[in-house]
Amino acid sequence: MPAVLTVDSRSGVPIYLQIIEQIKRSVALGVLQAGEQLPTVKQLALDLTVNPNTVARAYRDLERDSVIETAPGRGSFVRGDGAVDSARSAAADVARDALTVALREAKAVGLSRDEVRELIDVSLERWFPEER
Amino acid sequence: MSTIEISHLSKAYGKVQAVNDLSLQVPQGSVYGLLGPNGAGKTTVFKCMLGLAGFSGSVRYDGEPLVPATFERIAYVPERSVLYEWMTAAEHVEMNRRAFESFEPARAYELLAQFEIDPRKRCRALSKGMRTAVMVALAFARRAEVLILDEPTSGLDPINQRHVLSLIVNEAARGTSVIFSSHQIGQVERAAERIAVLEHGRLALEGLVDDLKADRKIVEGIFPDATSPLDGIVGDPRVARVDRAERIVRVLVLAGADDFATRLASAGASGVRILDLGLEDIFLYAVSPADATASLLPKAGS
Repeated sequence: MPAVLTVDSRSGVPIYLQIIEQIKRSVALGVLQAGEQLPTVKQLALDLTVNPNTVARAYRDLERDSVIETAPGRGSFVRGDGAVDSARSAAADVARDALTVALREAKAVGLSRDEVRELIDVSLERWFPEER
Repeated sequence: MSTIEISHLSKAYGKVQAVNDLSLQVPQGSVYGLLGPNGAGKTTVFKCMLGLAGFSGSVRYDGEPLVPATFERIAYVPERSVLYEWMTAAEHVEMNRRAFESFEPARAYELLAQFEIDPRKRCRALSKGMRTAVMVALAFARRAEVLILDEPTSGLDPINQRHVLSLIVNEAARGTSVIFSSHQIGQVERAAERIAVLEHGRLALEGLVDDLKADRKIVEGIFPDATSPLDGIVGDPRVARVDRAERIVRVLVLAGADDFATRLASAGASGVRILDLGLEDIFLYAVSPADATASLLPKAGS
């Protein structure tokens, strides 16, 4: 388990969602591999100093989303089947939401459609230079 | 293992209604944060829970009313020091060992060492924070089923504050039910699963911290002029308050933020955005009268 999991308890984003998002991202990026064991609920709660029930809630949702599976008495593991796909699609959702927020903000501050298109073209050039 | 159930708890001191018809439940193994301005009744609630004050209504542990035997299962850290000035921490350990069957002296010494407190020192030589730490060490060495903690981090430095939070989380993971109060909202936000906000002895707000954050949002928009009508917004039961500063309108919604963002835009607002709220904001909104808008307005935009 990567030691990069952190929570910002003062954020307006619920802590269990922060945990879910980070674990999905780690799976999507291959930092967490299929079959890899996650810390126990208690251990992660202690590591992050957050309520164990909050961690348990995150794990339940990750199970529901087929990213992890829990074997009673053995612990929780990244699923071998489909975990990467579901984590990737979740990470894509995050990116899509961020893009929506950015476009809404662009409209709010009065950018025109053409100006936004130009911004996007510049960004595409920078981040996807190989896919021309 | 214990579930705590408080129902219709009321307590008056003379003409002052300290607690007014309070009902709440602390599920077994959860951490419950009690918030409220000074004088809101938090300490009185704890005293009633411990049978230290008479009250009307009921307090039950696993369905059972408080009887002398229940005290063996409850550990309490009071808000003010109850340590004897002339006694050492070690002597307090010995006193607790005699008083409680479940008390583990070795655990108490371990905790005192973690707080870097010399057990041979008399309590009069300890700072306020160190006294708090001694009381925390004594309470957590009890291995109780219920922990009632009234400001368990007051006077502690940030390192020891975090240590107390870790101890709380650890106890909850063992199945202990914990209820604690603190003015440090950031601590409650981190460690508590549920919170209650008390104001003038009444319950102003109650819920899961994560759900409150997921649901309560500020939806902001800029209208063409300061008198634009707010159709479909004012009067909706999910709207807790509407603050208006010239053309800027901020709506505190209890749910359905996306829906209200759309409604604001349809009502003619531009620059509509949804702002997340931390627990401190949620707390302040819960205890502020709806017309006290000016002080809160700049904050939501920062």
